[in-house]
Amino acid sequence: MANGVDTHWTNDMNTHANTILLGLAALLTGSFATAEIPRTADGKPDMSGTYNVGTSTSMQRNRIFGDNRYMTEEQAERYARATQSFLQGRTSSDPDREAPPEGGDGSPGAAGNVGGYNAFWIPRDGTTSLGKKIPTSIIYEPENGRYPARTEESRNRMVRRYRNYRGNDGTAWWLENEGPGPYDDPELRPLAERCLLGFSSTSGPPMLPALYNNTKRIVQTADTVMILIEMNHDARIVRMNSEHVAPDVRKWMGDSIGYWEGDTLVIDTTNFADRPGLGGATRNLHVVERFTRTDESTLLYDFTVDDPTVWTQPWSGQYSWPATNERLYEYACHEGNYALGNILRGARILEADAIVAQGGE
Amino acid sequence: MIVKRQNLTIALVAMLMPISSAQAHHAFGAEFDPNRPLLIKGEVIKVEWVNPHAWIHIAREMEDGTTESWMVEGGTPNTLLRRGINRDSLKPGIYLVVDGYQSKDRSNRANGRNITYSDGTTLFLGSSGTGAPRDGADPRERPR
Repeated sequence: MANGVDTHWTNDMNTHANTILLGLAALLTGSFATAEIPRTADGKPDMSGTYNVGTSTSMQRNRIFGDNRYMTEEQAERYARATQSFLQGRTSSDPDREAPPEGGDGSPGAAGNVGGYNAFWIPRDGTTSLGKKIPTSIIYEPENGRYPARTEESRNRMVRRYRNYRGNDGTAWWLENEGPGPYDDPELRPLAERCLLGFSSTSGPPMLPALYNNTKRIVQTADTVMILIEMNHDARIVRMNSEHVAPDVRKWMGDSIGYWEGDTLVIDTTNFADRPGLGGATRNLHVVERFTRTDESTLLYDFTVDDPTVWTQPWSGQYSWPATNERLYEYACHEGNYALGNILRGARILEADAIVAQGGE
Repeated sequence: MIVKRQNLTIALVAMLMPISSAQAHHAFGAEFDPNRPLLIKGEVIKVEWVNPHAWIHIAREMEDGTTESWMVEGGTPNTLLRRGINRDSLKPGIYLVVDGYQSKDRSNRANGRNITYSDGTTLFLGSSGTGAPRDGADPRERPR
């Protein structure tokens, strides 16, 4: 779910780099408490503020980097150039162009054969640097920067879920399969489409960078920390120095309790509903997040994920949250959601076409 | 570790590619019909500045000289605003060229696969100068 190197990439690297590195060094040597960071009246590091967590650092490391957690200087320079070139390649199009190709344009993923998300719709912001270095992935544990192996149970679940999946060919292909079709009922549609939870684990936990809407706002008091996620206006409420609710109480974003470990804010989350925001995870998910203020305008966000029914070992990741002066806009999901109607009505029309084509009525 | 230059470039570009294949609020592939490609040219009627998807209403010029009202779906209003595009710069009367695919429900709705001004300049830039839309730095841009 990468996104967000901005056109000021080099500036980001320079301005954020030194301060983050100092923060990391201080953290490692245990002398972090002496760093110049804003604090609340009770002396705790003040995490409050608005942050843009967009980054183009990918979750998983490309295997070409092996166990190297950071790019070499040459790799980082080439990466910056590749990013710039990617962005500048989208500045104009022929105004006398034709309509796109019949049968689809072959675009993968959510753009599903019809395109739709060019650079116009993708905010190119955020930072990729971690200290002076450019990380090769968000995941740093396991050491190869990749998701650990899935359990057999999880692999089987994935196979069952995607067994009947087909790409968008503009036909009611699901009629050929047994059982309910993916468009039979609004409740069969993904949570993001139904405005219940943002996609790409943007609200998490763990909170990961998404295609857009990457603004977070943190409000902190001595007994509660609130994290407002721009997408879907999800608000995580973290009870400080508390205990988890009873095991039968299940929540979309889990039940979060927090405590301080020195100058690090630790948030522990369990009690997830059946389908957490994190892809593939189950209600057994356990997430530990660690926020460290590395300077007056940057947080270091670190997380560890454990769901033994899905992954054969816990895994951890880390990326920077730079503060932003931008406003966080309302997410009026239902008000602007013509899409769900288009999807369901469209499916009915394609099904009717298929029946007519088979000689039915 | 020795990395061949060509392989490295592929790896670096691959790191950027998830942008186009990432998840989104809903799959455009679920909503739009690949067998109904279209090109829409016409003036903006109005813009719905709504998260997660802005809708741009356009008076589409038809071959017989009439116009039809169409709606084009795009990304988040936040993204437009951060690029300096607001209700004063993307307003009724501005001429746009859109290519995309029609909604599967066959209503006058399409996805904004590519949206440009009449001179081909991509909507979000509008200027090769400061990056602000239509600041006069780009001779190709439409006058304010």
